Amino acid sequence: MQRRTSPLASKRVSVWMALLLLAALLLQACAPAPTAPGGVESVAPEAAPAGPVVNALGKELPPDAAPLDQQVLIYPYSGWRTFTTIDFFQAVYERADALTDLLSDSLVRLDKNFQVNPGAATEWSVDESGLVWTFKLDPNLMWNDGTPVTADDYVATFRYGADPTHAWDFSWYYQGVIKNWTQAVNGEVPVEEIGVRAVDAHTLEFTTEMPAPYLPAMLLYSAPLQKKALETHGGLYNSNPATSVSSGPYKLVEWTKDQRLVYEINPDYKGTNIPYIQRLVVVAIGQPSQLLPAYEANEIDFVWGSGTLSPADLELIENDPELSAQYHPHYGDFRTYYFAFDVSKPPFDNLLVRQAFAHVLDRDTILPNIVKRQGIPAYSFLMPGFPASNSEAFKDTYPYDVEKAKQLLAEAGYPNGEGFPKLVMKLRAEGPTPVAVAQAYAAALKEHLGVEVEVSNMDFKSYMDELNAKPTQVQFTLISYGMDYLDPSNMLGVFLSGGRHPWSNAEYDRLVKEASSFTGDPAERTRMFQEAEKILVEDAAFVFVYHQTPGDLIKPFIKGPALEPDNNGVAAWHWPGFSTFSNLLSGVYITKDVANYRQPPQ
Amino acid sequence: MARYLFGRLMGVLVVFFIVSVVIFLLMHAIPGGPYNEDKVPLSAEAKANYMRKYGLDRPLVEQYLLYMGNALRGDFGVPFQSPTETVSGLIARTWPVSASIGGLALLVALPLGLLLGTLAAARQNTWVDYLTSATATLGITVPNFVVAVWLVLLFAVQLKWLPTGGWGQWQHYVMPVAALALAPMALTARYTRTSILEVSRSDYVRTARAKGLSNRQIMVRHVLRNAMIPLLTILAPQIPNLITGTIFIESIFRVPGLGKFFVTSILARDYPMIMALMLLVAVVWSLVYLVTDILYTVVDPRVRLEKSRT
Repeated sequence: MQRRTSPLASKRVSVWMALLLLAALLLQACAPAPTAPGGVESVAPEAAPAGPVVNALGKELPPDAAPLDQQVLIYPYSGWRTFTTIDFFQAVYERADALTDLLSDSLVRLDKNFQVNPGAATEWSVDESGLVWTFKLDPNLMWNDGTPVTADDYVATFRYGADPTHAWDFSWYYQGVIKNWTQAVNGEVPVEEIGVRAVDAHTLEFTTEMPAPYLPAMLLYSAPLQKKALETHGGLYNSNPATSVSSGPYKLVEWTKDQRLVYEINPDYKGTNIPYIQRLVVVAIGQPSQLLPAYEANEIDFVWGSGTLSPADLELIENDPELSAQYHPHYGDFRTYYFAFDVSKPPFDNLLVRQAFAHVLDRDTILPNIVKRQGIPAYSFLMPGFPASNSEAFKDTYPYDVEKAKQLLAEAGYPNGEGFPKLVMKLRAEGPTPVAVAQAYAAALKEHLGVEVEVSNMDFKSYMDELNAKPTQVQFTLISYGMDYLDPSNMLGVFLSGGRHPWSNAEYDRLVKEASSFTGDPAERTRMFQEAEKILVEDAAFVFVYHQTPGDLIKPFIKGPALEPDNNGVAAWHWPGFSTFSNLLSGVYITKDVANYRQPPQ
Repeated sequence: MARYLFGRLMGVLVVFFIVSVVIFLLMHAIPGGPYNEDKVPLSAEAKANYMRKYGLDRPLVEQYLLYMGNALRGDFGVPFQSPTETVSGLIARTWPVSASIGGLALLVALPLGLLLGTLAAARQNTWVDYLTSATATLGITVPNFVVAVWLVLLFAVQLKWLPTGGWGQWQHYVMPVAALALAPMALTARYTRTSILEVSRSDYVRTARAKGLSNRQIMVRHVLRNAMIPLLTILAPQIPNLITGTIFIESIFRVPGLGKFFVTSILARDYPMIMALMLLVAVVWSLVYLVTDILYTVVDPRVRLEKSRT
């Protein structure tokens, strides 16, 4: 039999030609690396400055700071999220994840110890009724179109937030606090009647529904839009540098959709939150998995750790001494992950069942093996370090105890899980860590209690729709909550009747509401919140798993007083991050060390 | 031919209409809406306000008719994800980006795939053939986003020759195009090889050889032309996929293309964008198949598009 050869095994087509072509392609790929954006031409403007370097706002840079043109911070934002605005009062959940709310000063701002400091308001006071608050505005503040910042801007902004036609996604926040806010949102009274009023150009008055000693803390979210621009161009005026106007430390110079935002220091800024950093570049990075490579390639200076770094990333960081030194764990937004049951229906209307479930959660195994450095065990809702936190006291309420759990479940009528319905544990588009935690717990429920649990990680909106349905369609879930402002009234308010979950407890409601409005001895107020939390923990409608301690990656050339250890020894980029809500932005700069990481810009 | 074309184009319109109804019903059937309830449920009133703002409070039939009425006049609405531009504007901004890397990937993949496939056929059962086959198998089986991650780790993180991603400089094209081109190149190579081998053994090639035609003439006039027929069938569907953007490649390499909107529009319940994208895809696919069918007549004279009247 003849060996088969191809009839075309001949001269014309040469193997070498193909190899050549491949080589050419490879060569193309190996062409010289791109230089830093802009190229190499540039030299620092003042080659040998005699005295200290002072920036456009008169702030003196520390001796180890890089030259002004290298005071550039490159920051990633998630390109997957819907991102329509950089202003809180436009759409809170449609802002980029970072570097927003820079174009005007909020009334107050937080320092790294989460203390409320004056922002645009220089001082404030409350009258004897505890209902009427007066905020004095810094009279120096100016918009960079030359007009002053007045109380009218704040009033217009709050009215915009309550405007039913705007349908602001954060309108719930001031409900029941600012007078007539709820009624205005519902269209029952005109927005002119909300309890926010300009007494004079630089005096702003808030009236609340009941005494709210936490109002100044809550007013963290009060960075105003400019009344004139709002009326002329609508709430999205800051989406375009041409219509953007700023009274804050930065101004918008570029917004290339789906690619990047660029801010520059606002030379007309007249406030007190004066930055070192001249230029902020915000780069869209779609895949969280690409953050670490981009960071390692020196294309970004920062990686926000919360929910972005995967367990694999964390392991890589842990095993790399250099990256490990750049990893800064912190409290984040005091976020707590917890399992929640629908107590309105069987089987979870039975306390014994819930207690049995609580006893099979083995935090001592789950934390070190899954959550690792991204969390600490939670025995209650309020994280250590948060006001009124009483974590230690709840450590032994429901300890890991399989025998006890089995016994409780048997008492509830389900010996060895017999007759117990199959469960679906729904998650809200969670990242790899919470999913792994949920699966570990599901496995423990199966192993110890004989309860079948299927874990289903849903898309965000479908989940919220099912959770919020009345009655809720989410029977069993792992979910989290992080603070909006630093007061227990905020965190504990989540569990009030009619809130996120169907659980309802009259005594809890009474304690939280009374404590929230309580203006007397702060120790007494704390005690009331702690009593409420005790009810919350003991009723086991929620099983608290871990408090998230996200860690960020920060390049070593970013330094400053804001990154020095806080009162608890935490040296990190504290929540709420680089915005006028915090004085972080006036406390970080780029050191000369940056030259070892990237070339000077043009 | 004109008759045929007219019929087919009418068919595209029918497809357009059916897709629009199906997608419209499906997207409104997904729970949730464009409103945000990340932390606390919106009050019923606030939600009603929101729905009113976007006209979502009207009956579905009315919404559909309104949408189609506007769409036929060229107004596809405003994307919820990017309210400062129009849907048409957004597509005009992002589609060329996707099309450019997709088009380049095709330009790389097709000739290279043809060349490799021909080589493998010519040197059947030699190391050239085995190497080509191995590469092709790898290209077909390994998903492009895995290849993309390898490329990033090697060329951006380790060797630092290329940026990990971005847009605007020629360097930004290299990795996305390479990652996108690999699979169609592999596919082309595999089918070219098989096809050529099959055709080469056919009677008419033997006849041609017997007539004393040169190898080159046999190759171009008989072998390649006939080998193109199965290739067209396989490769045509690659084209719409490549030119309408791919979410993984674009998000890994930070390419500001259309690809991500196929996913984010659904996650954000961005109804105007979902409709526009699905209609776009329907039209592109219909047209690609139409062109493919016409091309069959070019490469294979036996194919007739209209019924013979004899």
